[in-house]
Amino acid sequence: MKHAASALTLLLALYAAACSSKEPSGAQPAAAATSAASAALAPASSVAAAEERPYVHGDAARGADLAKTYECSRCHQGTGLAAVPVELACFGCHVDIDAGKFKGPADKMVKWKQHVQHVMDVPSLDSAGSRFQERWLADFLQRPKDLRPHLAPTMPRLAMPEDDARDLAAYLARDAKPAPAVDLSRADAAHGRELIESKACGACHAMSGAAKLSLQPNAVGPRVAPAITLAPDLALTRERYEAPELVRWLMDPPAIKPGTLMPSFGLSRAEAMDIAAYLLTAELQPIERAVPERLPLLERPVTFDEVNDRVLSKTCRHCHGNPDIAGGDGGPGSTGGFGFPARHLDLSTYTGVASGWVGADGERHSIFNKTSDGTPRLVAALYARQAEEAGVIDPEIRGMPLGMPSLPSEDVQLVATWIAQGRRR
Amino acid sequence: MKKSNVGRGLVAGLALVGTIAALPAQASACGGEWYPVMETDYRRRGIAMAEKQLEEGKMLDAAATVIRVMPHIKSLKAERSTLVARAQRVLAMATARNGGALPVDAQVPDYAQGTWLGRTADARAENLEWSIVALRGVAETKKSDTAGTTDLAEALATVDSHKAEARTILEKLAEKDLVASPEGYAALARLRQAAGDEKGQQLALKRCEAMSTTPSMCRTNANG
Repeated sequence: MKHAASALTLLLALYAAACSSKEPSGAQPAAAATSAASAALAPASSVAAAEERPYVHGDAARGADLAKTYECSRCHQGTGLAAVPVELACFGCHVDIDAGKFKGPADKMVKWKQHVQHVMDVPSLDSAGSRFQERWLADFLQRPKDLRPHLAPTMPRLAMPEDDARDLAAYLARDAKPAPAVDLSRADAAHGRELIESKACGACHAMSGAAKLSLQPNAVGPRVAPAITLAPDLALTRERYEAPELVRWLMDPPAIKPGTLMPSFGLSRAEAMDIAAYLLTAELQPIERAVPERLPLLERPVTFDEVNDRVLSKTCRHCHGNPDIAGGDGGPGSTGGFGFPARHLDLSTYTGVASGWVGADGERHSIFNKTSDGTPRLVAALYARQAEEAGVIDPEIRGMPLGMPSLPSEDVQLVATWIAQGRRR
Repeated sequence: MKKSNVGRGLVAGLALVGTIAALPAQASACGGEWYPVMETDYRRRGIAMAEKQLEEGKMLDAAATVIRVMPHIKSLKAERSTLVARAQRVLAMATARNGGALPVDAQVPDYAQGTWLGRTADARAENLEWSIVALRGVAETKKSDTAGTTDLAEALATVDSHKAEARTILEKLAEKDLVASPEGYAALARLRQAAGDEKGQQLALKRCEAMSTTPSMCRTNANG
């Protein structure tokens, strides 16, 4: 009897602790969830929203202009803007290369086709307002995070002030159709998890921090691979969705976003509510993403050719090119784009690299100037991208490559060594 | 019969030329490279090759390539075309680095040789002056381009009357770590040496030797 009482006390203590635990910093939000506790079934996003100051909606008309300024259409469809010319359509270019439609020397096309495989898919922004919280959109535009574990590129961290983010979010949400209210207090999150398993959501989606979804591939065909690539991490659902919009979406995704790769499973409203309850309240273990350690400098000589072959020509030159040999467009990091002014940083040649970039003061600055910790700026930008992937954002320096996976530490080591050795040509 | 065959051939030929001319050149910033559908402009290929030759230290080959591709390059203006600017830059640098003399008679036809061979002091001086004027023009087309400014300063440093200007430019660039080539540092080393700044000379030589794949070039140039 004594032992049973002690065990019950312990259980109640653990339950109380779980209910009151704060979100670990830098990790996925953890929230206590049992199907029996009605308070815990209140969506975390609504609870969080109530605790925050009221969101001030932006100016959608101004947002339309901003969508052009930030060139959303270079990557995304569903922006409501006219399609961009092929020279500016990043992903369209890659799709054409893969399909053999891009006109260029045959040997280059074979090589490029291998490189573009992981950069062909990008989510459409169609009906974003009918799905996502406008507040979340604004926050995401300023502080993008990796939403899709199977997709190599991420939303780039643009130079976007808060008012621009709000206005752009308002524009993206311009056609929002609020969903009918739902009450998830009687929904069954545990059943929701069962449904997620039985519908094989894990075939496409991951859910970081939750018990692993079982993989039961249940479809074949040309839409499966991009569906997997674009499937967002379900752990982030509670940040992006309010309960009504989530339930509506789950019931019939193509009705909300025509052409979506998310299929309709013919869920009833009750089933959709159960799944929503699970997604919004499941306990998530914090995911620790460590910033990789910096490797020591190499002891062998490193030349520009090696740095160029392994790093600059593979990745950097896309945005930091020489406009004189690229039809006048050196890329967003050179002649400007994505809302960035022209910085004239040409990483396509040795002298280009040595010539630095043009700052806001109109003067040239070396990319080898040291930051406050003594790291050359070029290297600091590469490290900053690694840190961004671990959730650590440096307000002083934008991580590179922008919106792409960080370089392996060995590549950063190579660049750092080359610089430390005096930048041999 | 013959006439209609000739006619057909002419039409086919014209159609082919028309097709080639009409094919859109697909340019993109993808990879920072330019890939015309059909390379009808041999000059682009030639200038790209010359740039590579210059980078590899093959001065005379680079110069010869440019002169063959653009025999009238002296009369062209950099601001009219980026291709001309690129070509003039290559030829000007090759000329400056060779002291105004380009013995390319084996590679360049007679009619295009002009004063390029630099067989007399006047010819060499004329070539060096042209290099400086050309590089000023190139630098004008891309303001704040320190690569262009480094090149100009390097050329200025080869002519006594321009050495002060060369040193001013190079010192400013060196202060900001924006000297874009080892040759630029070699030129700065020479200028500092001439001004009696031995410490400064050694610093510049050290930078040149760290950057250059042929460090001996730094001291060879430094000693004139």
